[in-house]
This record gives sequence, structure tokens and C-alpha cells, in this order.
Amino acid sequence: LNHVVHNGGLYKRPFNEAFEETPMLVAVLTYVGYGVLTLFGYLRDFMRQWKIEKCQNATEREEQKDFVPLYQDFENFYNRNLYMRIRDSWNRPICSVPGAKVDMMERVSHDYNWTFTYTGKVLKGIINMGSYNYLGFAQKAGTCQEAAAKVLSQYGAGVCSTRQEMGNLDKHEELEKLVARFLGVESAMAYGMGFATNSMNIPALVGKGCLILSDELNHASLVLGARLSGATIRIFKHNNMQSLEKLLKDAIVHGQPRTRRPWKKILILVEGIYSMEGSIVRLPEVIALKKKYKSYLYLDEAHSIGALGPSGRGVVEYFGLNPEDVDVMMGTFTKSFGAAGGYIGGKKELIDYLRTYSHSAVYATSLSPPVVEQIITSMKCIMGEDGTTVGKARVQQLAENTRYFRRRLKEMGFIIYGNEDSPVVPLMLYMPAKIGAFGREMLKRNIGVVVVGFPATPIIESRARFCLSAAHTKEMLDTALKEINDVGDLLQLKYSRHRLVPNLDRPFDETTYEETED
Amino acid sequence: VQEKEELIEEWQPEPLVPPVPKDHPALNYNVVSGPPTHIITVNGKECVNFASFNFLGLLDNEKVKSAAQASLKKYGVGTCGPRGFYGTFDVHLELEERLAKFMRTEEAIIYSYGFATIASAIPAYSKRGDIVFVDEAACFAIQKGLQASRSNIKLFKHNDMADLERLLKEQETEDQKNPRKARVTRRFIVVEGLYMNTGDICPLPELIKLKYKYKVRIFLEESLSFGVLGEHGRGVTEHFGINIDDIDLISANMENSLASIGGFCCGRSFIIDHQRLSGQGYCFSASLPPLLAAAAIEALNIMEDNPEIFQTLRSKCERIHKALQG
Repeated sequence: LNHVVHNGGLYKRPFNEAFEETPMLVAVLTYVGYGVLTLFGYLRDFMRQWKIEKCQNATEREEQKDFVPLYQDFENFYNRNLYMRIRDSWNRPICSVPGAKVDMMERVSHDYNWTFTYTGKVLKGIINMGSYNYLGFAQKAGTCQEAAAKVLSQYGAGVCSTRQEMGNLDKHEELEKLVARFLGVESAMAYGMGFATNSMNIPALVGKGCLILSDELNHASLVLGARLSGATIRIFKHNNMQSLEKLLKDAIVHGQPRTRRPWKKILILVEGIYSMEGSIVRLPEVIALKKKYKSYLYLDEAHSIGALGPSGRGVVEYFGLNPEDVDVMMGTFTKSFGAAGGYIGGKKELIDYLRTYSHSAVYATSLSPPVVEQIITSMKCIMGEDGTTVGKARVQQLAENTRYFRRRLKEMGFIIYGNEDSPVVPLMLYMPAKIGAFGREMLKRNIGVVVVGFPATPIIESRARFCLSAAHTKEMLDTALKEINDVGDLLQLKYSRHRLVPNLDRPFDETTYEETED
Repeated sequence: VQEKEELIEEWQPEPLVPPVPKDHPALNYNVVSGPPTHIITVNGKECVNFASFNFLGLLDNEKVKSAAQASLKKYGVGTCGPRGFYGTFDVHLELEERLAKFMRTEEAIIYSYGFATIASAIPAYSKRGDIVFVDEAACFAIQKGLQASRSNIKLFKHNDMADLERLLKEQETEDQKNPRKARVTRRFIVVEGLYMNTGDICPLPELIKLKYKYKVRIFLEESLSFGVLGEHGRGVTEHFGINIDDIDLISANMENSLASIGGFCCGRSFIIDHQRLSGQGYCFSASLPPLLAAAAIEALNIMEDNPEIFQTLRSKCERIHKALQG
């Protein structure tokens, strides 16, 4: 189903997003696969209960056997019988910097993944397509690392205090001014953890009597923040503007559910790039709707800051919009800046309010000084303020890598979800056995990939997710593509029925937009 | 449709945030230049620092800093991924092993932020319909964890074991009315080793007795007491001489005594392993930067090699308390 726009005027560039439908045969076979696994699961549980098979699970203490059981057997069914079989695809330990190539510690299991032992051997030079290293700032040498080392020897590693007490270092003030300049907003505030930024600041902004409209596929931190705030939450279909408009209209016209009083505020929660789908939010339309219905917009740019836009300023620059239109710009420093922590940017009143009332400022520790220095140096590099063009080159390299990689995968015949410009590339696997097989086969060929299944994705839509980086050279991408091609043939993953003709660059004109069928 | 258009026109939302007066005390932070150690430069003035949680003075320890430097040279700063997706480094595994060995439990799990540790641990076990007995003076992170868990919260008066026993007895009579429901309702007591809000120590021996009498599990939050109480700094269980297996889950953050960032939970594998898939702050968040994990390991080494620092800390505390009380 190719998505195109009917408000063509709002978009200054083509918006190509595609979510090809699951082929019917594949869907049926996937359900059959899960059915077989469930049957075997019941059989094995039965055998374990009757002691025919040894139970490898950890168990409760003898003294506490008559306490109420801590876990229900059913909750763990998926864990014991499906996840355990392919557990070696996750939590792979590495022992080098998470750059374009990484060293992994080899581990084997002699009892079908119940326990792991490390052989002591290190697998060197594995091409890393799993880390969120979009601009390649995960480096162990270079200006960023030297600056961080200097700050570490001067300030130490920890802070031991909260922002409002003795934890506000001059480094933090410098960082916040820089972040505000980078984003093009009046003021910004930085926090120690990206997840905690969402879960502790959304409750400060909205409360009871307010309405939150949240996208279907929002991240767990946004969902948790929305729940902790106490406001009413309504979900709209993923990136679907008609669904959002309908909810907004109904909310204003009908008011609160039982009392019919008008809502105090409406807050729309969206993300810049959705990491499981690879889709980019339809920001021009969201802003148009927000202005029409007088609501507020909270944009979570965890994956898109640094990765989109001609100078890496995120999804707002990608669409050529004004950063002042977004009320709350939130993002993290973990992905494109190679550090840790989160930030919120916006108008001065908003940030002043958060400085006084945010839970994080009062109760949680501030950022560690060497981490702050890494963010400052990498941000200056991206902005070009360190006197080199390294930052700009990296942003461009990432964009080129993205387009090249996606095009080649589509040509090979895989089903790839998401927007053409998103550096997150989900490749559909569907069947449960292929999840484990894909991960293992790629590792044999020295490529590290990330595979995801239920519950992070819908049950039949398991996928492999590639995260491209500016540090990947064309040779690395070509090696990876060749191996993906081989594994794709081996596992029969080339489901796509819309075989694309290799792209001849067409000039951008209005006629590339089609009308959607209503 | 005309009416709807009018309603949409007329509706005025509140401003996103109310204005904050310029002289609000919390608005203008004190700016600390240089490291926040025992002598601290606040707003340009040099002061003696009685405000940070740097209990063992490890913040500017040279050995800790050089361990962090070595890690920085090897791994860079960030981990660029959650634990499940190439964010597990050998330093994390080493730190978890060391913490488990130090606390003499089976397993430990590390979080990248102290606040998120207990706030993710509680909702992983306690769900809607379960009952949690928590002290009134519990810290904010515990309150957020309880709110996220959607369980029934029963508050008992600060450090008042009689009040807690009363609540437990009431719950017992409730259970007898509906034994079927009681068989699946989990019960927890959440207490802190050293309370952040009042500075008291919890009466752990009485709590253990109540635990076995009424069959409730205990979650102990030891952020302030880890590295402070006990002969070797193992916290309030060592202080009272209690078997550590009697406590179901111990949670602490590494931002106080260990002078690093992050937090950990330790206990038996049966309990801790569950958080690797259902702890929200663990699964959905990037892992701890390796230099901070290396700093924590070195701080642990110092704690293990020099057990006399705990006695020094205790004597200084007693001196100050006596002097202030007159």
C-alpha cells in the first residue's frame, strides 16, 4: 500500500513511505509455525511437571514455597518455550567500541540456551548493523574522546547530587545553551536518561482533565509518561492523519467523557522516526492540525535528531519547518551523539517551568561530566563550529548510505518497511524460526544484526532491523548486502511481489503525487 | 456541522505551562564550577560541601578516575544501544558479577540511571490487583514505581511496626472472606534501609518476622545505606546480621557511595532474571556508559580493600550528631 499525500502543498519534498502487505501464504504459514511451537510448549511443560524432563528454571526458596507464587505460569509460557529457543540472538556481549565494526565475545550453550558459557575467544571485526550509531560518534580516539578525557580528570565520573542541589555544574549550563542553539529554540534542559526524560516530564506538563493523543506505536517511555500523568489517553492509528483529526474533533466537540466539561489541554505525542517501523512522522500535517485545533505537540526525536535533515537538525529541518511550531522538542543524546541522556527544548516559559517542577530536576542525579563533554564536542562537530566539515560530511554520508542500502535491498526482492530516508531499515521475516536462523546465519558470516519478534512487534510481523551509520563505508555495505542476499536465498526471505525497476533518478515535480482512494 | 465548527472556534485551551515567577527559589540553580567534591566552588565562592551524597569521598579518587580513563580509551563514551541489541559490554557483565559477589547474592542487574532502578523494579513484579505495604516516608522513586504498577497501596506510619502489623492483620481477615482471590494476590513490603526523607534506619529484624508470619515478600531499597552501614559496607542486612537470602530484592543506586551513575538490583536468580525481560528501564533504555561502569568497579575494589573507611565514616557521623544535639 503506497502512501502518498493529498495535501501536496504542505510537503516540500516527496514523502515515500511503504508498508507492503503480508503475502497471504506467508501469514498462514506463520500462524501454523506459532501453533506448532505452542503445542510443543504445552508438551514440554507437561513433561517438566511430571518430572519426565529436568526443569532448568530457577525456582523459589524452600522456606518460601507456601508464599503466593511470584509469577503466573502462563505469563512465562512464551518466555520458557519460544524465547528460550532463540535467546542467543539477543544480549550479545561485545568488548570493543560499538563502531562500524565490533568485537564480540564468543559464547556457546550446551543445554539449548538455558545457560551460556564464554569460550574466551573474541570474534573480531564483525560488521555492526545493530548499534544506534547514526553519525559514527562512537569512537575511542579523536577530538571527542580527548575532550571527554580532560573533563574526566578534572571533574571525576559521578556527580552525587541532583540538579536543584549541588549537581548543577557549569558544564551543564554550557550544554543547555548549546542544545538550544542547535535546535533553534529559545531554551533547553538536559537530563540524565532518555527514558526518564519522557516518564518524568510528561506528568509535569499534563494532568487530570487533560487529553493525550498518542500514536499507536509510541515508545514505552512515552506510554509510561502518559500513564503516570493521570490524563486521559486516546490512541490514533499509526501516522494516520485522518484518525488524528477525527479524535481531535470529537474531543473538542464532546469534551470530557462523563462531565462534558471542555478539556483543559490537548497534547499530541509523536516520534520523529519510529524505530520498529522505520517510518517518519507526517510532521507538516500534524502541525497544520495542531494549529487548527489549538492543541500542543510533543515531538520525541530520539532516533531522528542528527540523522535527518541536511545539517542533522532532525525531522523539523528535514521537512523545512519552523522549530517554534513544535511546542516541546524532546530527544536523546544516545543515538547520534554517542553519549547518554536526554533533553527537552522549547520556549523559555516552558523550560523555566520544567526547571522548577520537573521530577527529574528535584529527585534525580544530573548528567555525568565526561558524558556532557562528549555531547558538547560532537554537537559542535555536527554544527561545524569546531572548524572542520567533518560533521556535515557525516550527515551527508549517512543520507547516501541510507538511500543506497534501501534501494539495493528493495531491488533484491525483500519486503522493507518505512520511509526511504529513514536510517532504520526493517526487513520482514515473519516466521518464528527464521528469526533465530537469520540472526545466527548472519553472525556466521561476520555480520551482527538485530532481530525482533513478539512482543515488540505484532505477532506475525517479526523483522530484522538494520541501523545504518555514517561510519559504514561503501565496501562494508556491499559486503553486508552480499551476505544478506545469500542468507535471503537460503532462508527464502524474498517475499516482495512488487519487484522494482532499478531507479533512474527522476526530477521532483507535482505529478509524482497520486490521489489516495477514500 | 455548523455547531461543531463553532465549538471548535470557541474552545480555548489553557496555556501549556503556567508562568513561573522570576524569583521562584527553585528557578535559579546554584552553579558549581569544578568538581563537586569536599571543597566545592558554588557561584564563585569556595565552600565546604555538606550537600552532596559523596559519602566515601570516592568522587575525586585518582584510582577511580584512571580506571574510567582506561575504559574511555577502550570503549569511547556511549554504548549506542539497549542491553538486548549490542549494548552489553564485558564491563557490564563484570560489574554485575562483582556486585553479586560483594553483596553475597546469586545475581545482580544494572540500570543506567539510579532513579529508574527501583521505579522499574517494582512494576516488574507487582501488577494491578496486588497489594503493597509501603512506609509513609518512602522516597519519590519508590512512589513513582508504585504508581506505575497500579497495585493497591497501603501506607503504614513511618517505622511503626505495630501499624504495619495492624494492616497485615486486616488483610488477613479480608483474605479469609475470599480465599480464591487471596491465593493469587501477591503481597510486598517496600522499605528503605536508610530513609532519604527522615534519616532513620528501618527495623529490619521485626520486618523479617512479619514477613514469615504473614507471607509477604520484602523489597529493600538501599540507596543511602549501601556503602555506609554494616561492617564491610554491605548495607542494612549486614548492620543487623541478617541472612541476605531473607530479603527478596535489594535495590540501590550507585550514585551515592560508589560515586558513579546508575543503579543495581541484587537477589536470587529466580527473582532478578525476571527483570531482564520486564524491567522497563532495563529493556527500553540504553545501557550504562562503560566508563561509569569501570569507575564503579574500581570504587568497589577500594571498598573491598579498605574496610576501615566505613568505621571512619561512622565515627565522623557520631561526632557530628553529638555536637549538633548539644
